[in-house]
Amino acid sequence: MNSSYQLKMTVYSSLLVAFIAIGAFISIPIGPVPIVLQNMFVLLAALILGPVWGLGCVAVYLLIGLAGLPVFAGGTSGIGKLFGPTGGYLLGYLPCVFVTASISKGLGRKMPSDIIAMVIGSLIVYAAGVPWLMAVTSMPLKKALAVGMYPFLIGDALKIVAAAIIAKTLRPVIKL
Amino acid sequence: MAEITPFAYRPGDSVLHFLDTRLKFFITCLLCLSLLPAGFISCWLYCLILIFFFKKSKLPLFSMLGQIKSFLILLFFVFLSRALTTKGDLIFSAYGLEATEQGLTEGALVALKFFLVMLTGLIFSSTTRPSSVKTAVQWFLKPVPFVPENRVAVMISLALCFIPVILRQAKEVSDAQKARCANLRKNPVRKTMGLVLPLLKKTFLSADHLILAMESRCYSNDRTDSEFKPSGKEKFFLLGSIMVSLCFFIFS
Amino acid sequence: MQKTIINIEDLSFVFDDGYTGLDHVSLSIDKGEFIILAGKNGSGKTTFLKHLNGLLIPTSGMIRVNGKQVSKHLIETRKTVGMVFQDPDTQMVGDTVFDEVAFGPENLKLHRALINETVTRILKTLNLFHLRDRNPSTLSGGEKRKVAIAGILAMDPEVIVFDEPFSNLDYPGILQVLSTIMDLHRSGQTVIIATHDIEPVIFEATRMIIMKKGSIMEDGNPMALVGRLEPCGVREPCFSKFNMKPESWQK
Ligand SMILES: Nc1ncnc2c1ncn2[C@@H]1O[C@H](COP(=O)(O)OP(=O)(O)OP(=O)(O)O)[C@@H](O)[C@H]1O
Ligand SMILES: [Mg+2]
Repeated sequence: MNSSYQLKMTVYSSLLVAFIAIGAFISIPIGPVPIVLQNMFVLLAALILGPVWGLGCVAVYLLIGLAGLPVFAGGTSGIGKLFGPTGGYLLGYLPCVFVTASISKGLGRKMPSDIIAMVIGSLIVYAAGVPWLMAVTSMPLKKALAVGMYPFLIGDALKIVAAAIIAKTLRPVIKL
Repeated sequence: MAEITPFAYRPGDSVLHFLDTRLKFFITCLLCLSLLPAGFISCWLYCLILIFFFKKSKLPLFSMLGQIKSFLILLFFVFLSRALTTKGDLIFSAYGLEATEQGLTEGALVALKFFLVMLTGLIFSSTTRPSSVKTAVQWFLKPVPFVPENRVAVMISLALCFIPVILRQAKEVSDAQKARCANLRKNPVRKTMGLVLPLLKKTFLSADHLILAMESRCYSNDRTDSEFKPSGKEKFFLLGSIMVSLCFFIFS
Repeated sequence: MQKTIINIEDLSFVFDDGYTGLDHVSLSIDKGEFIILAGKNGSGKTTFLKHLNGLLIPTSGMIRVNGKQVSKHLIETRKTVGMVFQDPDTQMVGDTVFDEVAFGPENLKLHRALINETVTRILKTLNLFHLRDRNPSTLSGGEKRKVAIAGILAMDPEVIVFDEPFSNLDYPGILQVLSTIMDLHRSGQTVIIATHDIEPVIFEATRMIIMKKGSIMEDGNPMALVGRLEPCGVREPCFSKFNMKPESWQK
């Protein structure tokens, strides 16, 4: 039983790795940070897989991108991308998925608590991404916020609502 | 996948294609990190070396650069913001923006380095088969404690299998949606969900089938190790790359 | 002297939701048989096959493979009975054809040199060797099905179970898979095929089992049973409908 649970989680995590990667393919490059569906899949990974497997899922995603498979925004990869101007957002997914999943799990996987968890998780991504962007490009804070955070907030809110509904309908289907 | 991403593997038979992936990966990391202290001269020399290997591996450099346009635009931003914010000798000023000599050179150098790191990664990715990337990752993870490298390897190959399947199903779902005029919907949340939800349901279902198939083939984490096929030219490449990275330090 | 390889006694299976998938099934299967498992959609074919491989465990009754109870010897059962699933797309785990076929033996922790030798041999016998570096998802339907078969053969099973091996295939694809299956049978493998289109295989099979609503309705010589198919929701093959001589699909 235990080993078949592990197999199930392994396969589901790989599936979400694939979704996170695909979420990066379909990107709209506006300003230095492209708009992608990717962060929605990261949040979904948190809600569906839980803290441990969610973290593993994002870690594997970053690892294959670092190792040179084209899974980062716009089909790029490598250290250049991971430690480049937008690398902070990518690395921020790690704490994001863990915190989001822990909060959602701790509060009992209800829709309102899921939304709170995802809002906090998204803020963590910016908390990692914006200072990184400032450091690499030596932009002042105000400008970094203007190009690296504000333009995406509305999109993020929509994505969070969508993710909450998706997680709610998906959880009974996959019976975890 | 090559149509949508420049970083996809391009089959070929150059030296780089046959180099042991572990070494290739090590060299890529070494060169990228030692680029940090490099100065202008060594950067340009390195650029020439890279172009040589692009030609040697028959990679279409210019069309690939076209595909990473958005990255190049980003580099231009990096250059501009460095140039305009660094303090130093004023070259010109307009509309309250001030460009300094130090800013211009530093901005150019930083942008150039990012560009070179990107090119190095591009060479690695386009000459390395995804499955050997997977085995190399597995090998490097082996000494890392608490990381189940075999499971990571299985996850990587599953993810690589899922990506084309999901892309194909995404197309089917979006065609089915269009056939029912779902694209006329205005609400962006419902639009996203209309695409993503059926797709996730479908793929999780096929994941369930996959789990059964893996179980019936005795899946276990304790598996045969993968093998590597060195081409015999590894020594030269290792030596060469160490020399290049030393040059970066000396001519910094 | 025929040797029994699978023995099933009074097997019943009830799904979680209370639906009876299999209803008191008993039969035994000998080495070297070529069995068609016919029945309409939802008659319980897949449910039955999953029991042979230990993917489902009986609610009541007993199933033994080589004399050993399946639920207690899962790994051994899965080595003895290989299963090729209905949809080849959802059973591919490798990113190249070679890796895909090597997946099973790697799970058994066989030696690398042995794996390479086995996989190469199987790819060559199935005429797939030139595709070894391709990504399985880019192959044609018939090729995919053959890769799936190769992946099972690599584990050297005694019985091979096919679930709807001809679905979604065009005529050349069916012929391709059919001749692979026939070669396996000739080389002494026990073959079980679940299908609702029995036309391609009826000439070659040694036995036919017809299922309906989770129980076995008929069991016997395929040619003798063709007239009994339609009441169970399976289309009768053309040759018997039009009173023609049966003709093999094999050229
Ligand atoms: N997980 C499940 N829970 C409840 N009922 C199920 C489940 N899986 C299958 N069934 C039911 O069991 C019956 C037999 O299903 P099975 O898949 O074995 O049929 P089949 O003969 O293989 O059909 P097909 O030709 O469509 O593949 C069906 O009526 C189906 O609805
Ligand atoms: Mg079936």
